[in-house]
Amino acid sequence: MQSAALLLELGRWYLMAGGVVAAAFLVFGIDRVEPSARGSYAFRPLLIPGICLIWPLVLYRWFTLEKHGEDAR
Amino acid sequence: MSVQYTPVIWNRNKIFYDAVLLIAVALYLYIYIRVAPGYEDVTKPIDGAILRMRAFGSCAFLMLTVILCIGPLARLDRRFLPLLYNRRHFGVMTAGIAAVHANYVLTWYYNFSPTDKYVALLSSNTNYGQVLGFPFETLGIAALLILFVLAATSHDFWLSFLGAPIWKALHMFIYAAYACVVLHVALGALQGAGDPIFTSVVAASVVLVSGLHFATGRMEARRDRGEETAKASLQEKGWLVAGELDEIDDDCAKVVTLSDDERVAIFKYDGKLSAITNACAHQNGPLGEGKVLWGCITCPWHGYQYNLSDGRAPAPFTEKISTYKLKLIGSTILLDPNALPPGTHVDPVEIGEAA
Repeated sequence: MQSAALLLELGRWYLMAGGVVAAAFLVFGIDRVEPSARGSYAFRPLLIPGICLIWPLVLYRWFTLEKHGEDAR
Repeated sequence: MSVQYTPVIWNRNKIFYDAVLLIAVALYLYIYIRVAPGYEDVTKPIDGAILRMRAFGSCAFLMLTVILCIGPLARLDRRFLPLLYNRRHFGVMTAGIAAVHANYVLTWYYNFSPTDKYVALLSSNTNYGQVLGFPFETLGIAALLILFVLAATSHDFWLSFLGAPIWKALHMFIYAAYACVVLHVALGALQGAGDPIFTSVVAASVVLVSGLHFATGRMEARRDRGEETAKASLQEKGWLVAGELDEIDDDCAKVVTLSDDERVAIFKYDGKLSAITNACAHQNGPLGEGKVLWGCITCPWHGYQYNLSDGRAPAPFTEKISTYKLKLIGSTILLDPNALPPGTHVDPVEIGEAA
């Protein structure tokens, strides 16, 4: 029971961290690393679940694209 | 990618595809929940909630089976390509149906416990060391999480942002989800009272998915061997391997050096390939560095233009340059190194047909 509760608590924190990453990425990051997203806002809420689920990968790609630009694609 | 993103790009084909899918799912659920109980064993009645749970669970399983069959079917027979067209909506809908199944499980089995239902789900059975009585719910949770990730990353943005290799690797987890679902069903639903129909459906799904992938793998291996043989035979006749198709950007060229004073520019344009000498007839400008406009290459030095299929300058100009024969085997470009007389027409290689 304790392990299950701990696991769920970890999951909750993971998703909350994902929410913070999603807010930062959709407000500041996406326009810098994804040219086709500039000026497009309606589709951004669709990305929130994905960012919450794989936010470590999102952070990795965000930093990679910031550092290496289009060469990283 | 230069097109701005929108939430969902709709067109008539997609609307039709989604409508057919929705109708099929609704029909399946209706028959399972409303019609099938009329034929059940009256001595072993099934509760309504369990029936709905099974209806959505089996529906998600069948949808996942179809999704995994679409890829190999489309490779085996091009008539199945329309099914591939909007598969992402199919996947998103499957994740939704699986979520409804999970919700029925939670609200039926774990809703009336003083323990939090999610904690109860994870802690009610922890016998991971045994096969019979294995906590199959965990396998279902794993599959559901994978389906959520895949559905949530199905927008075009993700392919561009993650890059094709990462995105493809991520979406290959669909096979892990399928394996989890098969085990979830085999160690769960199939362990209960014998249901020959559902057991047969699960077995048929596994045989179908594995069989189609095996058949496609064999077909592609055979095709690769055929391409290798064709390539070797052309090389014996003096043709050169000039490179791979994806090395050349659209409306650009790859320059191949044949000798110190002979270079060939292979252009990709309008879904076709053509080869001409790299030297402009005017002052030997590097044609391979020029861009293609309306089927003509423009020399970057002085703007001289040549038609790529015959190496002739558009009328009223009269300059002519050498052309070369090409072949496309799979995605490999082969070049006949013997230059044809300037102005000789060579049919461009159609990329769509050969690749």
